[in-house]
Amino acid sequence: MEKYIEIENIQKEIDNFTLGPINLNIEPGTVTALVGDNGSGKSTLLKMVMNLVNADSGTIKAFGELVNGENEDWKKQIAYQPQTTIGFDAFTGNDLNKLISRWYPNWDQKFFIQLIDQLNVPLNKKFINLSQGVQQKLTLALTIPRNTKLLILDEPTSFMDIPSKNLIIDMLTEYMEDEERAIILASHQAEDIKKLADYIMLLRSGTQIQTIEKDVLTENYRKYWFSDTLKGSPVPGEISRSGNELISNDATATETYFAAHNMKPMNSSAMELEEIITLLLTRTTFN
Amino acid sequence: MKLPIQLSKDSREPIYHQIEQQLKALIAGGHLSAGVALPSIRVLSKELEVSVITTRRAYQNLENDGFIKTIQGKGTFVAELDQSLKNATKQSAVYDVFQHAIETARNYDYTHSQIKELFLTILHESERRE
Repeated sequence: MEKYIEIENIQKEIDNFTLGPINLNIEPGTVTALVGDNGSGKSTLLKMVMNLVNADSGTIKAFGELVNGENEDWKKQIAYQPQTTIGFDAFTGNDLNKLISRWYPNWDQKFFIQLIDQLNVPLNKKFINLSQGVQQKLTLALTIPRNTKLLILDEPTSFMDIPSKNLIIDMLTEYMEDEERAIILASHQAEDIKKLADYIMLLRSGTQIQTIEKDVLTENYRKYWFSDTLKGSPVPGEISRSGNELISNDATATETYFAAHNMKPMNSSAMELEEIITLLLTRTTFN
Repeated sequence: MKLPIQLSKDSREPIYHQIEQQLKALIAGGHLSAGVALPSIRVLSKELEVSVITTRRAYQNLENDGFIKTIQGKGTFVAELDQSLKNATKQSAVYDVFQHAIETARNYDYTHSQIKELFLTILHESERRE
């Protein structure tokens, strides 16, 4: 399948921080969530995709073109919303609407008005005088109707109230009805990840831990309880053990081992995505 | 339309299979009739909090088995089932539940005759209620 974004072995040093090496492909019809701790390099990675920050090594292609090459036509296919927008402050929503709609040939004014109505954004106030949540709403309303193939959103709803966040999830779901589209979403919002993401890329302090299909991740992890404190060496898949509780990141291997060694857990349960992500972003050893 | 699908994430049964089985039951049981439009893969994925990869797999299997049909550009619809497929689906659904119940009973060391006795008790109770 055609790839919208191809990131190969990207690396970047900033002061004492190393980002990468990172490898990631984005295909049409998919939503990929970038998940990581604060300062893990998510925003920097997205800026490198947009050619706003240079990588030290590795390559990034967008729609087949190297992003740091001469040809910048690929930029028309991407709508990018950075975490903080620079240069909007002095303008009203009406001004920004006029400016931005002119830059994007596929601009959907009807969709813009619909978003503004549903999100209740005043268009006659200067950007700087809007609350952070309303600024985010306006910025999103100025981003989604560009009707590009790829949408790159960096923490788009962090300041919004819960009903607005849910509304945005519904709008992005609707946006993805066209299977020629794709989204990359950096987010700390569990709901965004659960309801929108197909793939999750986990980034921890600059290191790419894993890129995995969301449901494979939740199917692999499992918690087991035994009637007694567990003794003996780690079992296959085991990643943590405390007293009579054991967590595995390879439920199939763990259960095969249990069956072969006549170990019968009292009970077992799946784990919530938040719990799994917390484990992956805080655990000190990896196997 | 919203589908009354409830996933058990605790179950070791793959999620795509759970979606498939529950949709089959709704269709074979006559709760979803032929021609009814199903949610798109993206919308159902959002509602069930699963990836489109999982939902697509369930829809593809259902399409291969003749339960639903996709019309390019229009969406996915419940297919017309012939009576034999309906019957087979109902039968296998009930068979699976009985099989599971018997396994559970065996895990609790019930004997053949105890299981039979319990089954008949429950059957009588439910007949009395009707």
